[in-house]
Amino acid sequence: MHTPKFKWVLMSITLVLGVLALGSMRPTQSAKAATPATGIVCTNGPNFNLTAQAGYIQTSDMNTVYMWSYGVTGGSFQYPGPVLCVHEGDTVTITLQNSLPYNQATSLIFPGQDNVQANGGLSQPEFDSGGALTSLATSAANGGSVTYSFVASRPGTFIYESGTDTKTQVPMGLASVLIVRPSMGDNFVFNRADSQFTPEEEFMAFLSEVDPYQHAAWEKGFGPGKNFNLDNYRARYWLINGRGFPDDMADNNASWLPNQPYGALARIHPDDKYLPDGTLNPSPQHPYPAVERFINVGTEEYPFHPHGQNGLLIGRDGYPLEGPGGEDMAFENFLVNLGPGQTWDVIFSWHDAENYSPTNPVNVTVPDLANVTIGMFYSGSPYLGQQQTMPPGTSTLNQCGEYYIISHNHALFQLDAFGQTLAGPITYLRIDPPLPNNCP
Amino acid sequence: MNNQFSRREFLKVVGGVALATAGVSVLPQFMRKTLLPEEIVTADIGYDLFFAGTDGWFWLPPTPAIPPWHPDPYGADFTPPGVDPFTTYIFGFRNVTGMTNSQRENQRNKVQHNAPFFWVDQFDGTNEFRIQLTNLGLALRPDLTDAHTIHWHGFRNVIPFYDGEPHGSISVPVGQLFTYVYRPRDPGTYMYHCHVEDVEHVTMGMTSMVFVRPLQNGNTSLYPSGKYAYNDGDGSTGYDREYALFLSEIWSEGHWNDAHIQESDWSLFRADFSLLNGRVHPYTLLPNSPVNLAASTNCLTTQTDGNGDLMTNPGYEHLQYNPHSALITCNAGERVLLRFANLGFREAAMTLAGIKARVVGRDATLMKGRDGTDTSYMTNTMLMGAGESYDAIFQAPAFSGGSGSSGNGYDTYILYNRRYTQDSNLSPGGAGGQRTEVRVYPADALAPQLYVNQHPDDLIS
Repeated sequence: MHTPKFKWVLMSITLVLGVLALGSMRPTQSAKAATPATGIVCTNGPNFNLTAQAGYIQTSDMNTVYMWSYGVTGGSFQYPGPVLCVHEGDTVTITLQNSLPYNQATSLIFPGQDNVQANGGLSQPEFDSGGALTSLATSAANGGSVTYSFVASRPGTFIYESGTDTKTQVPMGLASVLIVRPSMGDNFVFNRADSQFTPEEEFMAFLSEVDPYQHAAWEKGFGPGKNFNLDNYRARYWLINGRGFPDDMADNNASWLPNQPYGALARIHPDDKYLPDGTLNPSPQHPYPAVERFINVGTEEYPFHPHGQNGLLIGRDGYPLEGPGGEDMAFENFLVNLGPGQTWDVIFSWHDAENYSPTNPVNVTVPDLANVTIGMFYSGSPYLGQQQTMPPGTSTLNQCGEYYIISHNHALFQLDAFGQTLAGPITYLRIDPPLPNNCP
Repeated sequence: MNNQFSRREFLKVVGGVALATAGVSVLPQFMRKTLLPEEIVTADIGYDLFFAGTDGWFWLPPTPAIPPWHPDPYGADFTPPGVDPFTTYIFGFRNVTGMTNSQRENQRNKVQHNAPFFWVDQFDGTNEFRIQLTNLGLALRPDLTDAHTIHWHGFRNVIPFYDGEPHGSISVPVGQLFTYVYRPRDPGTYMYHCHVEDVEHVTMGMTSMVFVRPLQNGNTSLYPSGKYAYNDGDGSTGYDREYALFLSEIWSEGHWNDAHIQESDWSLFRADFSLLNGRVHPYTLLPNSPVNLAASTNCLTTQTDGNGDLMTNPGYEHLQYNPHSALITCNAGERVLLRFANLGFREAAMTLAGIKARVVGRDATLMKGRDGTDTSYMTNTMLMGAGESYDAIFQAPAFSGGSGSSGNGYDTYILYNRRYTQDSNLSPGGAGGQRTEVRVYPADALAPQLYVNQHPDDLIS
């Protein structure tokens, strides 16, 4: 129905800036190693120094929200916290500095990791003098620190998060991602040959939620925060990689989102493993799929729906889907349903099944653009790599005839941002024409 | 989102003047393209189905009331005299294939919930499937000029042009036409919905199911009926009867808001009603609205009157716009395919009490690993997220004898959503409103199924 016009204009401007930046900042090979415009940005280990602290993020309805999150010690606040990348077999050490407000203790837990050590001993739950649980793991007093270590014994996608006052600290933002790369190579998800992916096409969908009343209570002070009744908890924002649509389309490290460094646009080229006649391509340019790592740190199910392709779910909670003899138990889904605390590893690719082009046209009268409603990403042409002049008064963000295929949470009320429609976990799969192309 | 009417106004004024004074040739190139007459394909090859998007009203149990949202008093203004008033404002699709222009126009304000079920054969190299969509506008909300689309949810490797997602492609404004062309290469159970303003248009009712029948169909050597869910190669997905079970939800406040020109805060969504094929129990057990069998070759089609409006079963005129039954009937020993799709916004736990089922497909994919490992599984609870589909097959148990456990000639098993907190509907019996029955008759008691979701008491012509 209606989107308040001024907000939509602002969102469009943001989006234009984002896409322009995506064009202008499309990295050269040398810059790419530093920070690619799209895809996962790793903070590489195996030794990390993190600080838990307070800060602010921007939401798509032009609100700002008070958060707690992790940053690299000595760096700035960011949400979500750094994506930690290590290799199978690494001894990982993480020193957590506790700079949270209100004199709170905090800690880290690493679901899926065994034998986690804290300050040289086994990380253990903590109890007060009355025997009540105060922390799921060895904690750092406010202003202090604690060092955890463990051996990353198996590859996969994992969560790290607060283990102290978890029903407050985790929803306030103290949760992020740990990726363990297999010994088979960085371009594999697991130690399975069939988990190979295209390294430039590694993406994540880190899904979370915010009850703005809980966050506002803590922003007001310790008393209001502590008195927030979790029975009244109700998420009103849902985020992907810490952003809502269309902010999530902007590049990694977009300058206007200083505390939300991670974009969610997935940018790929068509898969050419097979020729249009279905036979194996003898000289493919793009034979391996992309990978998307899905992470749910919220309290609800997030049913995520990528259009136009069935992802192959090859891993769950850091384990490959395989039988005891290595049998392949992976399965395709057009709906990746994530429970709270769950991770899925999904490989996917896209190609035009009909190989449509100006010489193999769609079998339908293509309506004049004046007779349809035109989407803001549409090229004006049904065909990949083609662009059509837009009618007067209509603009497009399309750059080179690339395709934009949406992917979004299908619990559709979760696409709302505190009353602003279509401002939640929506992003796109951008498919560029095969190389060489004219795309910036 | 409002259509960009300014473009049209601009063209009417500027284009008209320019054409009148100087002709198209003096216009700059970018305008000339737009102002030239639309290209018409002389031998348009038509369509298999013609759908129309518009608004309307349908009926849900008026008690218990949820004041002021339910029942919506406006509904009485759109209900025929003597009929229990419609309660709920909806958007939706109608099948207008074969209608005259005036019949089609009459269907504004007469949508059904859920939209028609349709099905297609897997693409064999020649049999592409074409759906023409028109947008009749919204009778109650002429201030809204929302476009519509058909998004075939789950269609693999589709180009944005045919995906129906409006930002990356095009959508159909009021009064216009567009034809979606599909070459379905992957059998299974899918769903379709409008993707414009999809939070609103989906929950308002522009939703239903579509399934793709496998090329293996007709092979009676793997299973006697020759009917399969997938190209399984071994008959494991063969079935005798099939039922489409479509899950959707109604948040009464959101529907009331659309009828009363109010904005909704969709982040406050809750499911007041959880529906199975557009009805709540016990109405799920009632027959389909009268079925037009000849017109049901690729779409379950309700009979229509001279104005093109939906026919009803005598005594159930208030269910005019909830035409679909959800009752499951079969003979002892038969294999029954349940095709589930969930376009509600919450995860559902559909539980089949007393019968085990095998999940043979999910999201239009046969349950097999890449190396052929069988990943199908037995269960009696199908846990399905919002936007997910399931194919489950059960073998009907033996008949208990006599007049059956029901006393009416059949045994009864209950199929219901175990998530009571989101489907209560205050339905009698305490098992929620997203509920139906499986009725098992003695072997050979029921004739072979003529169409999906056939009910023994259906009126057929």
